Amino acid sequence: MATEGTTQKAIANPTKEFFVTMITRDITLEDCILDLIDNSVDGAWRGAGSRPIGLAEEADLSKYSISINISPESFRILDNCGGMTLNDAVKHAFSFGRRSTEEYDDYSIGVYGIGMKRAVFKLGTDIKIRSTAVDDGNRLAFAVPINVATWLANDEPPWDFDIVEDEPLAEDGVEITVNTLNGGAKRSFESPAFVQNLRRTIARDYTLHLNRGLKISLNDEPITGVLIELRQSDEFTPMRDEYEDELDDEKVSVELIVGMAAPPPDNSDPDEQDDGDKRFGWYVACNGRIVLAADKTILSGWGTDGWPLWHRQYSGFLGIVLFTAANATALPLTTTKRSVDTSSEIYRHARPRMREVTRKWIDYTNARKQSLEDAKQREAKAAPVSIYAVNKQTPVKLPVLTPKQTEKVGNIAYAVPLSRLRELGKALGSINMPYREVGIKSFDYTYDQLVGGE
Amino acid sequence: MPSFDAINYSLRPSKSIQRKIVFGGVRIFQNHLHLERMTYIGFGSIWFTDFTLAHKLLGVNDMISIEGDDIGYQRAVFNAPYATVRVEHGYSNDILPNLYRDPSLAGRPWMVWLDYDYELNESVRDDIRSLIENVPANSIVLITFNGIDRKYGQRPADRPARLKALLGSVVPDGLTPDACKDESMQATLANLSLDFMKSIAADLARPGGFVPAFRIIYKDGAPMVTVGGVLPAKGAARIANDVVNEPNWPGRPTKRVTAPHLTMREAATLQAKLPSAIKLSRSVVQDLGFDLEDEQIEAFETYYREYPAFAQIVM
Repeated sequence: MATEGTTQKAIANPTKEFFVTMITRDITLEDCILDLIDNSVDGAWRGAGSRPIGLAEEADLSKYSISINISPESFRILDNCGGMTLNDAVKHAFSFGRRSTEEYDDYSIGVYGIGMKRAVFKLGTDIKIRSTAVDDGNRLAFAVPINVATWLANDEPPWDFDIVEDEPLAEDGVEITVNTLNGGAKRSFESPAFVQNLRRTIARDYTLHLNRGLKISLNDEPITGVLIELRQSDEFTPMRDEYEDELDDEKVSVELIVGMAAPPPDNSDPDEQDDGDKRFGWYVACNGRIVLAADKTILSGWGTDGWPLWHRQYSGFLGIVLFTAANATALPLTTTKRSVDTSSEIYRHARPRMREVTRKWIDYTNARKQSLEDAKQREAKAAPVSIYAVNKQTPVKLPVLTPKQTEKVGNIAYAVPLSRLRELGKALGSINMPYREVGIKSFDYTYDQLVGGE
Repeated sequence: MPSFDAINYSLRPSKSIQRKIVFGGVRIFQNHLHLERMTYIGFGSIWFTDFTLAHKLLGVNDMISIEGDDIGYQRAVFNAPYATVRVEHGYSNDILPNLYRDPSLAGRPWMVWLDYDYELNESVRDDIRSLIENVPANSIVLITFNGIDRKYGQRPADRPARLKALLGSVVPDGLTPDACKDESMQATLANLSLDFMKSIAADLARPGGFVPAFRIIYKDGAPMVTVGGVLPAKGAARIANDVVNEPNWPGRPTKRVTAPHLTMREAATLQAKLPSAIKLSRSVVQDLGFDLEDEQIEAFETYYREYPAFAQIVM
């Protein structure tokens, strides 16, 4: 109890352990690895002369490479993206969080000054960060070894890490190795499915960088970027629209590219085999990094006012919103960079434009149901073009379909053992044939046999 | 048609060698892991060959055979070789969940060997998943299935998509049709199904994970794939890994097992030359008075200790 005249103070200093536990809890292992890649990508971007990203058709990142090796025993990421300077390390790179007065790299993705620490603490307990960089014309190498147990043992401020001299790396860059992995990391790195999925995520989230020549390899196998294509013809034109926005005097440029990535399905029944669905929906990129991919949820707007819930009928739709800002804090990304910050004003400003073009697609797929054959013929004429080839400042164009009187139809539904269904599919041409098609083909076959031609 | 009407199980030398490799491997595990009171679970059919080996070689008493066919079930009950063999009537998809809940099987290791005579399909995949997710600590899980390429799509180009539909994420996006052809197909199937098992154990964070131990491709008629491993108790993973990483661990023969069909006289004559420091050559065989392909000689030399002796009785 405080006695009269004196004010006692309750201690509020955090412990290191609290810090480490808290910052690593709400992020997935995969996102931690992506955070480390982000740092490398920022380095490459700085080296290539920071500039607005957008699609940045002309940028060339082909001299930069990032290699990641994971195994149940260890983790390693090595890049040749310029490295961090000793000054960076002393002043910024190892502090928890960014001071508001700090400078930022133009058009980078690192925002919160937490990524690297969070990632290495999540991964394991025996950590070594090495860097070789040119600073004021001198090439300088150093290392920061972190033994987490030792570091946690003392909570007394100031919190710091030892920086030691080191052999230079072969090229200017950063190498991070983690040798004693935490249980969760070890378990995941044992899983071939985790490794394959990480490869897929990197291919998708860094596709804009990979398409500009950046090399990323995982366990010595190079990763190729996902090719994003939209269909184009006289009747189908993808939209490409650009505008400037502003948040607290920070300029943000916004670009939307939207269109048909593939013809919609013939029917809208759920089909567990339909792999294509995974591609469709909205993508959001912040300074070139895809933070939301193939979204069909409330995050991009589906199921909000004036915008229906995603339905398989809308398959084929693909839209990308690119937010670009010199200062990444103005961008609508969450700390995990795995989602958009839906409360961001910049993002909310973009929503109506996203909704408007989505509605056009929804209307088209509704009209399409009445004129399916006509629509399919028109869709077949639309050829895939890379998003880079979409002309600037064009609105989306979709054909106008006039419904045709059609004969009354009946639906047939029946269940058969899956093994027989597969066998029949195989005999009809493909073991991967969708169930529905097996049904139609076998109906047509029986019809031809028993009823005869038209 | 149930397979026991189509094939007499005992007359397949490669199959027989494969069984001996598996039981030999499990026997090694018995020396290192706590496999006391192990239960054997399999498809005993009406022959119960594997059950006999489990009892004789491993000393396993409690055994459960799963039999889906109605007549097959009656015959299996009739042919059960030991008092401790229990036959469960139904398909593995339905029977396994009952076994997971069976209190008499809880808390003791299982050796489960589901030896299918057809290809890896959705129901086999579901059995694999449920086993990896549910078997008790220190259990050994093995699956055998048909590895012939065309079972997975008539055209090689269809096969990567088929495997993806079956095994999901573990199938690399870049899997080529060439890797799904002829003998490469069996290697691909073996590798991916082991990856699948490992991934399920890892995703589930099974305390000891999954330690791949068996990868055998053998051929009497159709090429067959046997894969499996141990799901060690927490803390036993290192021991299990050490066992399978021994250079002479038998569970992963690099070449496929294709044993020649030999007469008893041929087998006995060849066997009398073994073991030998020098590799048996074709000319040696010719000097013995008969002849064999190089591949057959090599297979016999590798597996002569496991080579079965069959006798035909003319009545």
